[in-house]
This record gives sequence, C-alpha cells and structure tokens, in this order.
Amino acid sequence: MGTNNNEGNALIRVIGYIVLIIVTAVGLWEMGAKFLNGPIDEGTTQLVTWGIWVSGYIFFLGLSAGSFLISTLIYVFGVRQLEEAGPAALVQALGCLLLGGALIVLDAGHPERMYMVLLYFNPTSVMAYMGLFYNVYIAIVVAEIYLVMRPAFVRNVQSGKRPTWLYRLLSLGSTRLDKESLVRDRKWMMVLGILGIPAAVIVHGGVGTIFAVAKARLNWLGGLFPLLFIVSALTSGGALLTFLTAAFGKMPRERKLKLVNFLAQLTIGFLLLDALITFADMFTTSYTAIPSGASTDKLVLFGPYKWIFWIVEVALGLVIPLFLVASPRTNKALGWLGLAGLLVVIGMLGARLTLVIPPQVTPLFEISIGAYNHIRYAYGYFPSTSDLLVMLGVFAIGIWMMLGARKYLPLDFEAHEGAQQGGDVTS
Amino acid sequence: MSKPEDPMDRRHFLRLGGLAGAGALAVTAPVLAAEPNSADKQAIRYGMIIDLKRCVGCKACAAACKAENHTPPGVAYNIVMEEEVGTYPDVRRRFISRPCMHCATPSCTIVCPTKATHIRDDGIVAIDYNRCIGCRYCISACPYGVRAFDYGHNYHETATPYESQPSPEYGQNKKRNLKGNESPRGNVRKCHFCIHRVKKGLSPACASTCIANAIHFGNLNDPEGLCTVHGEKLRFLLATRDHLRLKEDLGNNPSVYYLT
Repeated sequence: MGTNNNEGNALIRVIGYIVLIIVTAVGLWEMGAKFLNGPIDEGTTQLVTWGIWVSGYIFFLGLSAGSFLISTLIYVFGVRQLEEAGPAALVQALGCLLLGGALIVLDAGHPERMYMVLLYFNPTSVMAYMGLFYNVYIAIVVAEIYLVMRPAFVRNVQSGKRPTWLYRLLSLGSTRLDKESLVRDRKWMMVLGILGIPAAVIVHGGVGTIFAVAKARLNWLGGLFPLLFIVSALTSGGALLTFLTAAFGKMPRERKLKLVNFLAQLTIGFLLLDALITFADMFTTSYTAIPSGASTDKLVLFGPYKWIFWIVEVALGLVIPLFLVASPRTNKALGWLGLAGLLVVIGMLGARLTLVIPPQVTPLFEISIGAYNHIRYAYGYFPSTSDLLVMLGVFAIGIWMMLGARKYLPLDFEAHEGAQQGGDVTS
Repeated sequence: MSKPEDPMDRRHFLRLGGLAGAGALAVTAPVLAAEPNSADKQAIRYGMIIDLKRCVGCKACAAACKAENHTPPGVAYNIVMEEEVGTYPDVRRRFISRPCMHCATPSCTIVCPTKATHIRDDGIVAIDYNRCIGCRYCISACPYGVRAFDYGHNYHETATPYESQPSPEYGQNKKRNLKGNESPRGNVRKCHFCIHRVKKGLSPACASTCIANAIHFGNLNDPEGLCTVHGEKLRFLLATRDHLRLKEDLGNNPSVYYLT
C-alpha cells in the first residue's frame, strides 16, 4: 500500500512538473511576443483599458505588501508567536513584488520607457509616487532578507553546503557569526522594518489611491479605496503565508499547528474587516443609485461578474474559510487551515478582478456605444488568449520561485535559531 | 514600558506620522493651489462651440479627423454619439460630436506619471509621444472618454499606400512603422485641435469639414475673437444662445461648448 502511494505521488509529481514546464514556456513565449509585437494581442478595449494584468498586478502587490507588513509584526513590534514565519514572509514579499512588477511592465505600451517615470517625475501623479516607492520598497525588502538570512548563509558557507558558490554570493563576503554582529543585524532589521512600513503602505495604499482619484469612475472614487487596498493586502499576505507555512513549513508538528492557527486567525480578522469595507463601498454606490455607480454594482451582483463575486469572492474566499477556521472540527488540522489560506488567496484574486474591471465596463456616455464600430470600442471585456497565457505563466514562474526558495534559502526556523538567541536585543 | 532608545516610542511614531502627512500634502498642494479661473487669464485659449441645433449627424467631422490624422482602426479622436429621443410619432434623433474637451483643469495631465500629456499655453492638451509609457492612467481618469490607446491595428509589414503616408500630427510626420514597438503604437492618442493646422492659420479638420457649419473654433479668451471657419463672434454666440458643457459639475472646465 505504502509503495503504491509513493509511486502515485511520484507520478503526480512528474505530471505536475511537466504541466508547470509547459505553462511556463508558453507564458514566456507570449511575454516575448508582447515585447516584440506590441499590445496588439491584448484583450483590453478603449473603455476597459486595464484588464487582468492590472488586476494581477494589484493582487501580487497586495500579497507582497501584506506579507511584508506581517513580517514587521515580528521584527518591529516583536510579536513572538509569528517569529518562525518571518523569513518566509519576507521572501514571499519579494517574490510577489517581482511577479507584480513583471505584469505591470508588460501592461505598459512602452515598457522600455519605464525609467522615464523617475526621469520626468510628475509631482501631481499618484502613479509616479508609486513608481518611486516601488523601488524604495524593493530595496528595503532585499536588505531585510539579507539581514535575516546572513547568519544562515555564513553557516552554510562554513559547513560547505552545496551550492557553496550561491551561499558565498548571497552572504556578500560576510563571515561574522559572533553575538555582536547578530545584535547589529537585529537592530538594522528593526530600522528597516520601521522604514518599510510607510514604504509598503505608500506603495499599496498608493495603488488604491491611483484608483480612488480617477474621478471618471464613481466606483473607484472616494476615500475607502486606499484603506481597502491596505486591509486586503494584509488579508491576502496573511492568507498566503498561512497556506505556504501549512503546506511546506518544516518544523515540529505541534509548533507548526500553533503558528498556522495564529496566522489563520489573523487572516480571518483582516478578511472580516476587508469584507466590511467592501460592503460599505458597494452599499453607498448602489443605495445612492447614481447610474454610473449602480450599473457597476449590477454587473457585479447580478451581471456577467456574478460568478466571480458570489462563487469566488463570497463562497470560496469568505464563507468557507471562515467556517474552516471557526469550526473546532477543522481548525486543529493543518490541512484544513492551509486550505482556508489558499481559498482566501483565490477569493482575493477574484476581488481584484471585480474591483478593476466592472467599473470600466459601463461607458462614460451611454450613447457612445455604437458611435464607432471596432472591436476596441465594443461593450464589455474578456481577456484574450495571450492575456490568459501570460497570467498563467506568471503564476507558474511564481511556483518556480517558491520551489527554488524552499530548496535553497534558509526559510525554516532551525536555520535561524542561533540568530534568534544572539539577536534578542530587547532582552 | 518603552525605553528611550526603543525606536518604536511615541515620539518616533508621531514624527513618522508627521512626515507622512507632509508627504500627502506635498502631493495635493499643487492641485489645491491651482487657481480655477487661471485659464481665463491666458492670452489664448482655443475652444470649440458646437451647435447641436445645426448638427445633422453626418459624421463628416469624425471622417475628416481620421483622414487628417491618419489614425489607425480602433483609434478615434472624434466620435459622433447618437440618441433617439421620444417615441413615435413624437420622436427625433440627437447627435453629439465629441472631440477632446481640452479642459482648463484636466483630469488626465495631473495623473500622467511622466508629464507626457500636458496642457499648452494656448489651452490645448497635447501628448508627447516620445515620453508616453502607455500606462493608460489618463484614459482611466478622463471623464469624457476622449482618449484612445493605439493597439497597433493595421500597422502592416508592407504598408499600403495610405498607411505609408506620414501623419501630420504635432508636425512630427510619423509613419506607421512595424519596426519594433515604435510610437505612436503603444501610446495613448487624442484630439489635439489639429495643432499643425492651427499653426498655419487653418481650423481643425472637423470644423472645416462640417457640412452644416455647426462646429465653430477660435480663441475663447479674445473678447473680439471670431470663429476661424465661419467668422461668427464667439462671445456673441455664447451670450445669445443657450449652451452647456458636458459633465460641468466635475470641475474640469472644458473648452468645448454645446449650443442647445
């Protein structure tokens, strides 16, 4: 029986890798095509100019900002229960940031001109600030990862763990493991964490503000959006961390369950706040029934987006995880808690889609439909094959990044125990 | 209890909060400080006065615009929106020609991350094709939907004779080019009141073409300003006829008036 199971697992693994390789290859091919052929294959229109790539961008950026803010709970605010998830949270923050960045670069009509955002910085543009702080934020995350992993890298170099060249490179020539250096690392971690909080909030709250100040769309306009983005960042970041820790974290079962349970409860707390803000936002636009706002709510609640809203967002992303974490039958099992995390992440992707796309679908002048007959002026939006393949490719690259990080980076608690004891500055 | 060297003490936190507040103010200050009526003090503010009573819905303005600016399929600077009002037998069709409103306080220019889209001294909102990164934020921000992203339709490997004609836009004479992702492909494009024609003393193509003399164009800030196509006094038209501007409550201060 046991061998059968092992063989079955091996087969699933091989099939999984084959699928992953194909999806990655096709995704990369499509990305290359976008760079060479321009935006011709995109499914967006002149009305819905931001499609699934922009949704994906804010999804990944939210995951990143949320993971980072959760890491600051540990390194700045000293929440000890989460200690063991710290390195993973930081690596997750960096990975998601890169995936989101890839999508937004692809979405631009002229990706090769991205540097102009910094060169010709427009001080009244929220997007320009987002571009600036994106870079500041990425530097902070990279520096934090280095600091938190440096002792483990040095130990790996000393013990000759393979691939040694990688750890030598990653340790940047540092060889110190003494208590003094660990205390210094820990202090810098705190400083960077403190700087990182406003950076993460500005980057992701800033993305919310990009939408909030676009006064053409009533469903984006208003003060709730920046807040909503920050709360949903925390929700999705916590949820992904719950899932990945439950699925891949290497630590004693008892400790792992405690950690995952804490993460899951934290996530549910943020999730409820997120649901409340989303409800408040939808309530005002549908109650006031100003046509441009209410028509979007109709599209989401009863129109073509109802499947994403009711099934993905509400059922999968809210009700089931809530039940899984609340019920004493399921909240003691790592599998169920991990599943709850994964479902919240999936629900959040659905939320990003309904946040970005439906408000653009309703034309700014209802009578403009039919004024110009071309596919780019048609009503509605559906992603093109190329859009979908690129999106899947980005997810596949994310899985590769995760597998690589799990294999080569010291994400588990044991690797940091030394740093832990040495670096306890507050004791 | 927090110790003085603890970086998370209250003073530190307040200082951070203050910095964040100052930052937010720095972003909004230029927007708040912009004087709403400063556009009226410019020497030149080009604008249009479109007579809806005269418009017959022939769409010659939209066709002339396409021919003048060589816009590819899927990019339109000017469209004519149609609407049927009433029920038979009390029914009529209403047409609204919609160029860019060339707002005095545009939503698009303040959000552009690279200042690629900007408002000129003569009130025309233009785009620097070599600076636009194609992020489309301006399209999302524009309440009038006048902007179009050039997806690159009909940029053929061997250009047809029509496609190989340079577009006179902004006096740049760009040809549709498939080599690499060259501008204006991948850019946002929009109506620019045919700056290249206005510079020569001509009127925008739509205004010159209109078969019903419904589109007037000229300097709205000149008290004696005349329509450059038909010679009517612009201020007289606005003083004697009922008029409106689209979505005026949004505060964009459009330079396109509709006589009703």
